[in-house]
Amino acid sequence: MPLENHEKARFLLHRALVEGISLEERQWLEAHVRECAECGRYADLSARAVRALDWFALELDPAAALRVENLVRSRAEETRSAETRAKSLWIGTAAAIFLTFAGSAVMWRPLAWLAGQWNLPSPVWQIGFAAFWWLPSLLLAFLPLFRKRLLGDDSDSNGETV
Amino acid sequence: MVAVVTAFSRVSEPESQCIARALRRRDSEFIGRMVSRYHYRLLRYLVYWTSRRELAEDLVQETWMRVLERAGQYNGRLRFEPWLFSIARNLAIDHLRKQQTATHRMCRENEAGVEVPAPDFESPFFAAARSEDAKRIAAALGALEPIYREALLLRFQEELSLAEIAQVARASISTVSSRIQRGLSMLQAALGGGTDAA
Repeated sequence: MPLENHEKARFLLHRALVEGISLEERQWLEAHVRECAECGRYADLSARAVRALDWFALELDPAAALRVENLVRSRAEETRSAETRAKSLWIGTAAAIFLTFAGSAVMWRPLAWLAGQWNLPSPVWQIGFAAFWWLPSLLLAFLPLFRKRLLGDDSDSNGETV
Repeated sequence: MVAVVTAFSRVSEPESQCIARALRRRDSEFIGRMVSRYHYRLLRYLVYWTSRRELAEDLVQETWMRVLERAGQYNGRLRFEPWLFSIARNLAIDHLRKQQTATHRMCRENEAGVEVPAPDFESPFFAAARSEDAKRIAAALGALEPIYREALLLRFQEELSLAEIAQVARASISTVSSRIQRGLSMLQAALGGGTDAA
């Protein structure tokens, strides 16, 4: 039997195990393995090597498995509630910013009129408006978002241990 | 550097979509069931990587924490298992790297007269071996580098496709195929002359 037939058989045996071979190749291989004792032994050894992996079944510790499950469950719940809180904060911040600007638009004309009545120069009342209207509103709007950083509060961290 | 595989097997099963949705929603009930369902497979994969049962158990927990952190990255278009195993793999590699650095540091200290403790663990493969053949295979598995054990496990125990294994191992399909061949050759050599015993 030509040497290349043995090489081809081993190549096909490997491919059959790893990724599969065509029907035609399988038929050739089976015929060759029937005729060639050496390749037959090799095929048997390959199959046994694959089956041998089944011998190493791990014994599971149900308590350990349950511990992991409970821990992951509670972390998932913590993460979900932290995300819900974060979402509410963002919505609150967006609403506060919107109200700040909407309120500014409403108040601008009356304040301009009042400043005219009191003969205040435009830059003065506009700076006052920014300092006493925009600045506090925007600070209050953003404060909750940076609360954790400002207070160093990590009580509701959402899992940064890994 | 190995080429990163770009063509992964796409699945149309709704299960992967369900998993992706549950992860995004942080559905603790569903996630709890998944932890239970994948526990053995994940543990086995990590044992194959680290050769240490206790370490593998710690890494299983860390893997799930990482899964929760990265839940948004899983879109459900590919199967869940390769994604899960690739997270576990990265954690195992990180841990082994840290361990190597620590060992290296201890060796340097040892040169200065500090005693390095011998590893106090038994191979989990050897512990599971019930026959002489199994012991030979256990020794062969223990001697194999983790990348070869990983390739064997993912192909023959997890039955992942070559493309999926390549995704997990971040290697080309041909590299994965060679790793499987090399791993099998080692096992064949260990079995050669012995008798089949399960």
